[in-house]
Amino acid sequence: MKTELKVGVISCSGEECLGGTISRLATRKVLEELKMIGTVTLCLPLYLAGGEEERNFAKVFPTISVDGCDKLCAKRSTEKYSGKINGSIDVSKIIGNENALDTKIVRNKDLKEEHFQMVDKVASEIVKMISRISPDSYSGKSFRGCSCGNE
Amino acid sequence: MYNKVKVVPCSGIGKVYGLMAREAVLKTVIELCPEKSETVCLAYIVTGDKEVKEKIEGCDCITVDGCPKMCASKNVSIVGGIVREEIKVLDTVKEHKGKKFGSPTQLDADGEKVIGEIATKIAKKINEIN
Repeated sequence: MKTELKVGVISCSGEECLGGTISRLATRKVLEELKMIGTVTLCLPLYLAGGEEERNFAKVFPTISVDGCDKLCAKRSTEKYSGKINGSIDVSKIIGNENALDTKIVRNKDLKEEHFQMVDKVASEIVKMISRISPDSYSGKSFRGCSCGNE
Repeated sequence: MYNKVKVVPCSGIGKVYGLMAREAVLKTVIELCPEKSETVCLAYIVTGDKEVKEKIEGCDCITVDGCPKMCASKNVSIVGGIVREEIKVLDTVKEHKGKKFGSPTQLDADGEKVIGEIATKIAKKINEIN
């Protein structure tokens, strides 16, 4: 039986600064639009609020974290609660620290063309990282997350 | 020292209700009550780092959740925040049956309208606390 490779992408979605918004939108873009490969996601706070199944996320899927700033909350929490990740993206390294830590422009409605270009750049980096993951790392197990976060 | 009310959304990434929680909170802390409230990254709270615990512990918090898992409320409580109000996006959504609110990426006009209502509820609670 042929098994489809699926990759988990976990975004920090940080609310305090633009980097979090970009991380969230870039992750959504990979899930919704690029679809080069089966991608799934999980709400990060489910590691503590959910059950054992959510905490096994990174054990079930080869997982990439996408963080808006260099605190790397998604990476550290995934590795602390769920398991070793296969790759990590720090959005601030791509769009610059000043942009990433912007606290004025955070809402979707305030984003301008330049910000959507940042989303495209980060999404492109996620896709590159996914393409470097070996199909052998897929466990083939099934996963059911929360009603809000998984796809 | 004067402590702003911490308003923390779930920002759930899989459904529109997570985005509604996020946008309602951002509207509140940026536009409606910037002097009395602020948000804290939920992902940072999940790390349990000493700095974020110090920021939240013993503080008045309002959480806004998009699904019954109540991730924001649970995680804020875990680090010692005092959850003064748990706002559930679905409670407001139920008052708008049959409407489409957008996607987890972008809100439609009705989605924007509903987050305005949720933001007003959050602001009311902030003004009661402070």
